Amino acid sequence: MQEFLQHTLNGLSIGSIYALLALGYTMVYGILGMINFAHSEIYMMGAFGAFYTARFLGLDTPSVLNFAIGLCGAVLFAAAVGFLVEKFAYKPLRNSPKMNVLITAIGVSILFQFGGQIIFGADPKAFPTLIEDQNLFSLFDSPIHLTDLLIYFVSFASLGILSFIIFKTQTGRAMRAVSTRPDMTPLMGINNNKIISMTFVIGSALAGVAAVLVSIKYPKIDPMMGVRIGMASFVAAVFGGIGSLHGAVVGGFLLGLGETYLIGYGASTYKDAFSFVILIIVLLYKPTGLFGTTRREKI
Amino acid sequence: MKKYFIFLVLVVLLGVVLNSFLNSYIQAIFISFMINAVMALSLNFITGLADQFSLGHAGLMAIGAYTSAVLNKEFFNDQWIMIPVGVLCGGFLAAVAGYLLSLPSFRLKGDYIAIVTLGLAEIVRILLLNWKHVGGPRGYNAITKFPDFFLSYGFAVLLLFITFMTMYRLKISWFGRNLWAINEDDIAAEVMGLEIAKTKRYAFTISSFFAGLGGGFYSHHLGYISPGSFGFIISVQILIIAVLGGLGSLSGSILAAAILTFLPELLRSVQTGSLDLRMIIYPILLILMMILRPQGLFGRKEIYEFLSEKWKTKLGIQL
Repeated sequence: MQEFLQHTLNGLSIGSIYALLALGYTMVYGILGMINFAHSEIYMMGAFGAFYTARFLGLDTPSVLNFAIGLCGAVLFAAAVGFLVEKFAYKPLRNSPKMNVLITAIGVSILFQFGGQIIFGADPKAFPTLIEDQNLFSLFDSPIHLTDLLIYFVSFASLGILSFIIFKTQTGRAMRAVSTRPDMTPLMGINNNKIISMTFVIGSALAGVAAVLVSIKYPKIDPMMGVRIGMASFVAAVFGGIGSLHGAVVGGFLLGLGETYLIGYGASTYKDAFSFVILIIVLLYKPTGLFGTTRREKI
Repeated sequence: MKKYFIFLVLVVLLGVVLNSFLNSYIQAIFISFMINAVMALSLNFITGLADQFSLGHAGLMAIGAYTSAVLNKEFFNDQWIMIPVGVLCGGFLAAVAGYLLSLPSFRLKGDYIAIVTLGLAEIVRILLLNWKHVGGPRGYNAITKFPDFFLSYGFAVLLLFITFMTMYRLKISWFGRNLWAINEDDIAAEVMGLEIAKTKRYAFTISSFFAGLGGGFYSHHLGYISPGSFGFIISVQILIIAVLGGLGSLSGSILAAAILTFLPELLRSVQTGSLDLRMIIYPILLILMMILRPQGLFGRKEIYEFLSEKWKTKLGIQL
């Protein structure tokens, strides 16, 4: 029982990370219809953003304030990277075939991975302790860590802010409009390019949040850190139904829990294959994912 | 018939020159050029003709490589004469894997096939890492090689020739035109009575078969393979070759394979320290090309289509 609870808590924390990243994939897919392969590298850049913010501001004492500053640094940096990637790599290809955009996305992703190895160095770096980890209390004999609680809290807060933006503000309404009928929105006075940029910025900011949350739990960052987690989050997005925001969150949590149970009860060396096996099963039995809807094509 | 004879003479001449005048380093580069060309052709068939993005060709290559290597070592007693059989078996197993994979993936439109193939490559890599009998992460070594360069070269040329001719004949056949139609407008193609999912499935299976052949020969060329030799980067490298040559242009793929195999070797002297500049140059090349010349060097056309009429008749090419 205690073991099970421990796995569940871990699964929830990794699941909330997947949910944050899956949202980025699903938002971009919903609005542009492309898989943003560079999203995992934006996540990586977020981690390095926090790392360098902490270094230049000399944040070496763990405190809540320092954590907040690091988080802001990561969010700003990731959002800036996302904005620039969209502006310089994807925007010139707005009207070209999907295949070309996809190839460009892969190019951007690899450029960041290997460019990062040159700029930051290929060896893993120790992420500064922005906040001291401690056991707050025990639940059925299993310790509750501060970092885990912080991960739950911050990711739920971000999800709340996101759903406020998407469902309550004018920008969010415009985003939903662009994702349903991009050909009609300019007639309603919406600047599609601006909304698409905005989507990238918001998705990248979420990736920045995820990066800091992962880094306080596993304080080791390197330029290739996004590859595995990015793929798993993409699978979470497909699992939940790509294009659906609720689906991405649910998919993220389910995948995180499933993966943790798999590691906890045996086959830990097959962990990386798990998400892809899930993906293939989903495509076989419910190709639109849990919350996805099929849109009829009119000719 | 005459042009095949001329081709044969040229190939033999090149082989003799390579064998007697150049060192084994350059010989090895030539062979890896031909393997790259086979892999690029295989990817071009599915990505260029059928417009289905595959990111898992390294996984198919790994299936071919391990099958051929293990068969040769465990069952054929390291006889080099059995290498072609092993390579062929590798091709068939890769084709089976490709077919199984294509069952779920083509039920949907869109880019799912890219992720599913990427998943296949990862799953294959992880299974190989966990398979202790073939060395796991340490790799599988002392694989049978051809006893001398000339045999190896001959087999590589034969492999490339068969791959190219098969794909070329398929491209200009009714099957190639079906793929073309799906590529142009899948709704119209469906209305004309084409079974889209089935056609794509066949195309993917054929592509997988040749990827397996390329991988099989790769293992016998190097003599050592490990799960690390079939990472994501390899899939990307193959993709870059196919994109540079032009998606849909088979001869373009061969030329691009030549460029992207020989150029990095020439640049090796400029390379400094542990930095792998190729992995910076490749993605920049890819992004710039997508923005400036998305159709690649030759677009969909074969190289000879750029020749004048006089040369076409001289070479005996008719469309």
